[in-house]
Amino acid sequence: MGHLAVRRSAFAAEFTAERERMASSSARGELEKMGIDQLKALKEQADLEVNLLQDSLNNIRTANARLESAAGALNDLSLRPQGKKMLVPLTASLYVPGTLDEADKVLVDIGTGYFIEKTMEDGKDYCQRKISLLKSNYEQLFEVLAKKKSVADEAGMVLQGKVRQLQAATTS
Amino acid sequence: MISPKSRKNHQLRKKYTIQLGENELVLKELDLLEDDANVYKLIGPVLVKQDLAEANANVRKRIEYISAELKRIDATLQDNEGQQNSKREAMMKLQQRLQSIQAGKAKA
Repeated sequence: MGHLAVRRSAFAAEFTAERERMASSSARGELEKMGIDQLKALKEQADLEVNLLQDSLNNIRTANARLESAAGALNDLSLRPQGKKMLVPLTASLYVPGTLDEADKVLVDIGTGYFIEKTMEDGKDYCQRKISLLKSNYEQLFEVLAKKKSVADEAGMVLQGKVRQLQAATTS
Repeated sequence: MISPKSRKNHQLRKKYTIQLGENELVLKELDLLEDDANVYKLIGPVLVKQDLAEANANVRKRIEYISAELKRIDATLQDNEGQQNSKREAMMKLQQRLQSIQAGKAKA
């Protein structure tokens, strides 16, 4: 899950350079100057990137949902008394009866195979921290997506205009 | 104009960037811990208790290694790009020569 938050920074780094190029040519004038082939390539490139960004955004949303459910489970767990009877899942279809040990310590997966023991309090705090981190990543990515989408749309419109011009010229 | 070699390099670079980010997140969490906190590492199906100092050192070493690899790949990518550019220029020059020769033949 940690790597999903990081993918945003990997993408952002690659896209910033491209974004600067795009920003300089996002003016309609620049788009108009480009040949039809170039425009088509640009639009295809932009569309590809929009799709990649959408995928990343979806991944972030999924990860966020998982974190929220983890936080919810933690909250529920903290309400349960020690010694409470419970069913422990061994596989997806096999549960065994057990009793709840003290719910004050939790194991947190922090990534790259490391787990740390935290108190219930810290565990909840961890979840909240990750949730807000993912939220801010989501917002930043969303901004990049919006800009990229507008470039793709503009390129598409200019391209259509040029193709129509070309058709009008060849048929007349 | 992306050769398969260059695509592999880009994928590798992306993989390293992701790993670097993940390891940095882990380091941040480890730094937040008290010295006597329990750290475990997942080795296969087994959770093994680790010393906090050792975990810190391991993660730092991985971060160093990945950063070095990233730098190396960036240098390779730059190199390849430079090579591609010079090859492209040479190709254009040859094409121009070919065109001028053909034009000369057509006139004669």
